[in-house]
Amino acid sequence: MSIAQTTEHPYQGSRKLLSGLRKIATSFAVILTTLFGLLVITFIVGRMVPADPVIAVIGDQADQATYDRVFTEMGLDRPLYVQFGHYLTDIAKLDFGQSHVTKNPVASDLARVFPATLELATLATLIGACFGVPLGVLAAVRKGTWVDHVARVVGLLGYSTPIFWLGTIVILVFYAKFGLIPAGGRIDIYNEGLVEGPTNSLLIDSLLAREWDVFWSAMHHVITPALILGYAAMAYLSRMSRSFMLEQLRQEYILTARAKGLGKWPIIWRHAFRNIRVQLLTVVALAYCGLLDGTVLIETVFAWPGLGQYLTSALFFADMNAVLGSVLLIGIISIAINLLSDIVYRFIDPRTR
Amino acid sequence: MFRRSFIMLSGVAALASTPPLAALAATPKDQLVVAITMSSMRGLDPHEINQLESAEVVANLYERLIVLPADKIAEPQPGLAESWTISPDGKTFTFKIRQGVKFHSGNALTAKDVEWSLRRLVKLGLAPSTDLRQWGFSADNVEKLIRATDDNTLVLETPEVWNANLILFSLASFSTSVLDSKFLADKDKGGDMGREFLQTADAGSGPYALRSWRANELLIAEAFKGYWQGEPKMRRVLLRHIPESAAQRLQIDNGDVDVAARLSSTDLGALEAGGKVDIQKTPGFGYYYLALNQKDEILSKPKVREAFRYLIDYDGLSATVMKYYGIKQQTIIPPGLPGAIDKNPYKLDIEKAKQLLAEAGYPNGFTKVYYATPVTPEYEVAQSLQANAAKAGIKLDLQGGDHIGKFRNRDFELFSARSGERLPDPHAILQSYATNANNTDEAKLTGLNAWRTAWDVPKEIQDMVTAAAHETDQSKRAELYAKINEAYLAASPALVTSFQRTDAKAVRKEVNGYLGHSTWLTRWDTVTKAQ
Repeated sequence: MSIAQTTEHPYQGSRKLLSGLRKIATSFAVILTTLFGLLVITFIVGRMVPADPVIAVIGDQADQATYDRVFTEMGLDRPLYVQFGHYLTDIAKLDFGQSHVTKNPVASDLARVFPATLELATLATLIGACFGVPLGVLAAVRKGTWVDHVARVVGLLGYSTPIFWLGTIVILVFYAKFGLIPAGGRIDIYNEGLVEGPTNSLLIDSLLAREWDVFWSAMHHVITPALILGYAAMAYLSRMSRSFMLEQLRQEYILTARAKGLGKWPIIWRHAFRNIRVQLLTVVALAYCGLLDGTVLIETVFAWPGLGQYLTSALFFADMNAVLGSVLLIGIISIAINLLSDIVYRFIDPRTR
Repeated sequence: MFRRSFIMLSGVAALASTPPLAALAATPKDQLVVAITMSSMRGLDPHEINQLESAEVVANLYERLIVLPADKIAEPQPGLAESWTISPDGKTFTFKIRQGVKFHSGNALTAKDVEWSLRRLVKLGLAPSTDLRQWGFSADNVEKLIRATDDNTLVLETPEVWNANLILFSLASFSTSVLDSKFLADKDKGGDMGREFLQTADAGSGPYALRSWRANELLIAEAFKGYWQGEPKMRRVLLRHIPESAAQRLQIDNGDVDVAARLSSTDLGALEAGGKVDIQKTPGFGYYYLALNQKDEILSKPKVREAFRYLIDYDGLSATVMKYYGIKQQTIIPPGLPGAIDKNPYKLDIEKAKQLLAEAGYPNGFTKVYYATPVTPEYEVAQSLQANAAKAGIKLDLQGGDHIGKFRNRDFELFSARSGERLPDPHAILQSYATNANNTDEAKLTGLNAWRTAWDVPKEIQDMVTAAAHETDQSKRAELYAKINEAYLAASPALVTSFQRTDAKAVRKEVNGYLGHSTWLTRWDTVTKAQ
């Protein structure tokens, strides 16, 4: 190593600082551009939806005078770019407008529906990761044996079974036939209204309030949809883990480790698994993002009042404020999860620093 | 790490899977649980909403001057108005307001509240304001025409003479609900008369008070202890948003809900066969209709219009998809209303349709675009028509989607949908289907189906509709409506009616007194549950 490489230039510290700041600025610019692009595309697509937002509000029997009045009230008489401009200005003030369907501020609607989806998706991701990753690793280690075959069949079923159908069958068997699970919703009617706020996650709020009946009722309701979603996530994660692991097990350093006399499981967990952690983190983050915005089918089957249902209903009734607010939230969450994964990469893999 | 997570999650899953006993019991004896679809509910302001589910809620949070009982829908009964008189010239209605009625806030209800509420409906000018505006009330004249002369008397003058029932029926509609004007005085935001506040709150005197509403999730209403007719038997009413018909079916079958309000034909059939529920089919004042745009050269020919009447499989659909959703009805006035006649002369007859098409000059048929709403049962009815039309040589390019805007703007060829009116009187239907005072595009009478279809309704029919609305003699009026009914049937109308709308609900057998209401005013205070 040369001396020039080890001696720090007097300006190197500030250069590093500048470079760091530039990176942060670039990241911010990328995030803002992504969010802006997301809003532009959603806004344009929203305007192309054939549903008439005015009729969605006033009903189809209303006369022209009522139509014109509401059309103006909703600001639809202004040019598109003006409407979009107003929307951006409001967002800057953290005002997402009012939902034409629920009649609430979109922000308060999102504060209510998003925690419902968040607790469902988080639990499903945990279930998927905790079962899927070990299953994939095991299948790779026991490649070609019955364990591998079982893992692949389980994965294939999870991949190919429509969530909607699975949810309906589970309700039919475990609710209608055996009475073991509730049919849907977040909580039993007896416990309605006992716990309200501050997070709008019933699991967390009931724990904070030490309302154990409410907690168990909420857990009892969330576990079935979470298990079904978790199963789909598990199928994806086990396949990916198996594939990543197989690639690692073919590497020469594994042979070296074996030659050194290391045991089978230490080689697998301390060496091979360590090297697939970054890839795994990426797919887990992707699965989590997918669950946060893509649980609409399971939300419909289990009458789960989450973001997926809210967004779908808003799209159906051309409720543009609600659509844009939801899409923006999903965008922010996706970006946040990606940023978080980037940060975690740096901790678990020094090469990415 | 994995092992710990695995053990923890397995434990949580096992614990959670042990059901609390209460979760699977029947609904409590003093609570009514209704499964509905809330997706189309638009707030709870009685002077703004225009939709069935919201109307049922408003019907129980608020009260009106007149009551139309579910089983005597065309017989106005006293509500908040203890009694009323009508002046000899038929233009002045004087209502004596019931004393001792309290709002949920504790304020006493007076004629001033009624005056404020009816004026508010007209001044806001939103969709339900048609219920008063169609009789000549406007923001300019309402202060003069609707006034409280003292705390117990309200005087309402109509600019023209109308049949008294039309006015009384309007005063029974959810849109004319009476609001607590004192309570709302400090809820005004920029002159909105409490509109923003009332989207998610109530200011009524009805048997139930709103406790909470989470859109697309749950609405809880609690019995109002100070209700003037006595506290209702059901302590709480819970409306749960359950969008899936199959889920509603399972839950009512298991006893987790008492009433299921949005079920598919298949699920209704299965439940009816199961024997645990009664299926209520409530006839509504609307139709499943087919609109043929009269701006189209081919569709404007009377023989082509007539041919379409022979392409609908009335009997086949009645036995299948329409079993719970409609009643075969080819005339324009539904049974039970003045002028109704039991006459359904048309049936599916492909050969007759072909013959009519040939006589009209189209022996080889034609091709048209056909818009239909992609929901059950409208779409199945449309698919059936498409298949029959093909047999007669008409190729219909069926396109699902939300095309109501195009229908309103006359930008279509064929369109089918379902309508619903809220006055139990022929006039409500005829005004939309059989009047079109100005058929030009510029007139923009977009509230009328006849204008949307560009149908120049025969003048004699329009004149009779107007005369009947003003006729004060009930028997003469009934005669006029019978004539209109016959004339409409004979006119090969551009609006082809095939089925009268019915709203089907499943109600558990142990629930009594939950009665479907043709004008969307189902009451909860009459509900009891068998022990």
